[in-house]
Amino acid sequence: MATTARNEVSPFLDPGPRTKANSLAILQLSRDNLLPVYLQPPTGEHDGYAEGAVVNTRYGSFPHSTMLNVPWGSQIRASKVDTGSRGRKRKRESGDDACREATGAGEKDDGKDNEGSPAAAVNGESTPSVKQAVADTSGFIHILPPTPEVWTTSLPHRTQVVYTPDYSYILHRIRARPGSTLIEAGAGSGSFTHASVRAVYNGYPTEGQRKGKVYSFEFHEQRYHKMKQELSDHGLDGLVELTHRDVYNGGFLVDGKSPEADAVFLDLPAPWEALPHLSRRRPQTSLNTNDATAGDEQTGWVSPLNPKKSVYLCTFSPCIEQVTRTVSVMRRLGWVDIDMVEIANRKLHTSRERVGLNLNFDRGVNNSPHDVEEALTRLEGIEGRFREHAAKPKDGDEDMDSGDEGDVQPTAKQSAAAVEGNQGVSADQATSGTAPWMEGRLITRGEPEIKTHTSYLVFAVLPMEWSEEDEAAAAAKYPVGKEQKVIGAVDKAARKQEKREQLQKQQGNSRKARRKERDEKLGEASG
Amino acid sequence: MQSVIRPNAWVALKLPSGSTKVLQITPNTTISLGKYGSFPANLIIGRPYHLTFELQDKLLDENFSRLRVVPTSELYAEVFADEAAAECATPATGANDAVISATDGEEFSLVDEKGNVVARSNREIIDDSARQTLTQEEIEELKREGNNAGKDVIAKLLLSHTALDQKTSFSLAKYKLLKTKKYIRRFQVLPIDVANLAQWQLEERDASKIMDMRAEMIGLVGCWGNVHYGGDDVLLEDPNATVAQGDEACVPVDEGLLRGRWLVVDDTCGLLVAAMAERMGVLYPNEDAETEGKTEGQDKDAAEQTSAIPEQTEETNVDQTEAGKTTQERDDTEMTDVQAAPTKPEAEKKPKQQKTRPSDFAIPYSQTNTITAIHGASQPNLSLLNYWGFDITSPNHPPHPLLNHLLTLTWLQLLKPELDLAYSTPPLTASPETLASWKPSRRGNFHRKRRRYARIRHIVDSTRAGNFSGLVCASTMDPISILRHTLPLLAGGAPVAIYSPSVEALAAAADCFSVPRRTAWVSGSVPEIEGLSTEELEHWPGNEQFPLNPTLLQGVSIQTSRARRWQVLPGRTHPLMTERGGADGYVLTAWRAKPAEGKIAAKGKFKRRKVESDAATPASA
Repeated sequence: MATTARNEVSPFLDPGPRTKANSLAILQLSRDNLLPVYLQPPTGEHDGYAEGAVVNTRYGSFPHSTMLNVPWGSQIRASKVDTGSRGRKRKRESGDDACREATGAGEKDDGKDNEGSPAAAVNGESTPSVKQAVADTSGFIHILPPTPEVWTTSLPHRTQVVYTPDYSYILHRIRARPGSTLIEAGAGSGSFTHASVRAVYNGYPTEGQRKGKVYSFEFHEQRYHKMKQELSDHGLDGLVELTHRDVYNGGFLVDGKSPEADAVFLDLPAPWEALPHLSRRRPQTSLNTNDATAGDEQTGWVSPLNPKKSVYLCTFSPCIEQVTRTVSVMRRLGWVDIDMVEIANRKLHTSRERVGLNLNFDRGVNNSPHDVEEALTRLEGIEGRFREHAAKPKDGDEDMDSGDEGDVQPTAKQSAAAVEGNQGVSADQATSGTAPWMEGRLITRGEPEIKTHTSYLVFAVLPMEWSEEDEAAAAAKYPVGKEQKVIGAVDKAARKQEKREQLQKQQGNSRKARRKERDEKLGEASG
Repeated sequence: MQSVIRPNAWVALKLPSGSTKVLQITPNTTISLGKYGSFPANLIIGRPYHLTFELQDKLLDENFSRLRVVPTSELYAEVFADEAAAECATPATGANDAVISATDGEEFSLVDEKGNVVARSNREIIDDSARQTLTQEEIEELKREGNNAGKDVIAKLLLSHTALDQKTSFSLAKYKLLKTKKYIRRFQVLPIDVANLAQWQLEERDASKIMDMRAEMIGLVGCWGNVHYGGDDVLLEDPNATVAQGDEACVPVDEGLLRGRWLVVDDTCGLLVAAMAERMGVLYPNEDAETEGKTEGQDKDAAEQTSAIPEQTEETNVDQTEAGKTTQERDDTEMTDVQAAPTKPEAEKKPKQQKTRPSDFAIPYSQTNTITAIHGASQPNLSLLNYWGFDITSPNHPPHPLLNHLLTLTWLQLLKPELDLAYSTPPLTASPETLASWKPSRRGNFHRKRRRYARIRHIVDSTRAGNFSGLVCASTMDPISILRHTLPLLAGGAPVAIYSPSVEALAAAADCFSVPRRTAWVSGSVPEIEGLSTEELEHWPGNEQFPLNPTLLQGVSIQTSRARRWQVLPGRTHPLMTERGGADGYVLTAWRAKPAEGKIAAKGKFKRRKVESDAATPASA
């Protein structure tokens, strides 16, 4: 794995204009088939490939050298890579599987200016031992900058993944913003970690500076080590503090200090075990007091929460029993605005619904009549031919066949014409009038399989602590009794009251008479 | 976000009825909650958000209600009683009851603050003729007495219900909830952030104003648009242009400096811009600075009993002290340096105002972490930003981070800048002597026009330079036309996220990138694109068959999301019965691709049995 320089900004946060060596890139093979790759500079033969490191996919082989220093989003052509003979003794020019369809397009190779080629040439100069990649005749992929979304789609699964529809909503609801501090327990596969880092990021912290940060906790040791490596590969070291700990017993303090979190996300099997640690003060009836902590004084207890803010919390649990228990504990610990939702996300595919007798026999085309008129015309035709046959003298079985053929032939012709249309627009216009991609009705339909349930999301807010002294200070700072006007829902009574008070202030002595007068006037006006 | 309620902050008051009131909390006013009563605003200023307050009975010698913070143990008293009842009931039901009843172990009870049971239901059959014995007059009388924040009324109502003992636990719970909503005198103060404001606009104001954009959609659009903090601010150096210098003195756009910029088309009155600004950290004024400055301002306010907001007070003070001509010059939008947030106390602030002004051609905008909004009307409609203290139309604006990070331009300025007067008219010039001879007002106008010219020039040129990090869009305009003109401006790999309340427009846009279209395009069977350069292909004007260049976007997909809310109560957990309907909301997502030049074919076994049917194979992606 590559080691990213510490002082460099993570490619997730600022990928720069072009791909870089030793940095993460996402190869988009097909729509939802994404492959994370750490691009390596060509350093001689690698794993038996003369071109250096190579990514082999069903869409062709892609030496890293062709993907370095190209603009993000570039379409990369496959290269002719000898995948067959590596590790074995060199055979005579091995028939490269990937190249077996190389035909007429060959002459294009020299002329085409693949964006990868100059880069390959540059790299080739520095390390002459590396074979320069030769573009293949077919096959391509796109190279994308890493974002939490593509990473979530492509990441190596370790546990259940928090997918984009969930985490986008959660981060919005728990107010994860640049500069926030976020606690995440149950780092899992790291999808939420990456998304939350992006949300809280407002620059890498320098010495003693407080910047947006994610405090992540993982119980599982193997996952912790993998995650640690991943974070450092992604250049997120100063932004995520990963701790290997069982938060049920260990709590959320890091090196004995409070992270002062503004928001919390718990992806744990038993959130209620962790919740007591997320209090403003040592909870009175700690649910899991073990002897060591029970001895501590109230003064020795440090809250991991930001004392100056309302703290937003979200727990992520798949079962309703977990939710019931979590909510019950939340209520006892003073959380308010408890709200439980579940997110249903659907992806829609757009396609062209092509129904009609005059269409070709492509896949997805329904060769049945597209309306009653078309059905009628066909039936009329069939009946007409039957009548003709009935009128003719009988010749045996042959008639039936020819009759069928007569029925099929027009559509076959049409389809041939449509196929021609496929080749060139002009030919197409001559026949059916519409290009195949414009035919039919544009429809949207759901995916074949939808995720109907991921997890229940429980949101809650813990207000800032507010003591008698605070209240007294605030009361002294903002004294009451000088109210001048009424804002908000001003109903008739309130309006009257306001007038009355104004009058009381303005006119000292004769206020009674004046008030009466005013009241009468108001009464008339409103009546 | 703020931790405590600040004077003159916009807040949302959540009432027991479930409705929300959005108010600017002006100090020294009385806030009226309609039928729930009223209280002095100063009683919530300086207090934390999210607490539940209760209006107390007026004391004998006071003519206003004081507030009490309701502890959560009291808020959840009934739930706790339920849970306790359920725990007691569970073992018993198994032993005694042969008949299984839906209400087993779900006795609902009415408890007072101390948890004593005031009334308890049993499992009798519901009597439809159940009646409330209290007359309306009696209820009104109780309300007038207004004791114990409405709790007495509720208890009396329940007790004088003749059929209370015949209600099931469920109907009793419902009845009590109904009465509580109506009579309890409690409220909660929520901060105005994007989530709360959007919710309020959607459910209680005009949902069409924000294009029915639900929280799920705001989240999705923000994430798929990869909108995030785009790097520390980089400001262009002041060219120190003299008044005699014209166009040539303008700072040219340095494309190397432009990073972390997002393009937005917003027809949601600024909600989308606000959501993006929140994600980029430029919606809320600097917090620590805010704490200092605001509290000081408030002290002064409270002393002087002015209702003006602190910034305005400062402004007026300054204006009064400064000479008339300076005031004239100040009539243009005051752009502030990011560092110049109101951190300094008043004493230090005075001399700062006298510092040398930047020249007319100084560009106040940051080169990074910016939002560029393209709008169809001559002025952008970003009215919702007012709730965060940003008014795009205000000429003399107090410091706000959006001033340096929000760039707006019209479609005309983007696409045909030569037709836009503000862009194409060269700036006025005058010799210092001539200038000195002018009246202050004319001089002010002269400077204002020059400043405006330099800014528009910068916005248009930097936008046309392209290389945006993403496109986010919620517009009533056709997405295809938006994409046609914005795709060339996006950097390679930049994400696109387009929101629409209905799917049809997005489906049409996605269809422009369908596999057959793309295949036909790259296989070289479109005669119109023969011989066009990469540049020309990027700016493909579109025709009937290919409204957009189908190779410019990768991974086009449409999705929708809906949050289903649940009620979680002991023994009564289920999804809510009704939810907001209307527009579902869809998001189209994709990435900007940089297609390889020349013909390109996908790999794979696409050989059909009918060989002639497909010379051009479907693209792999």
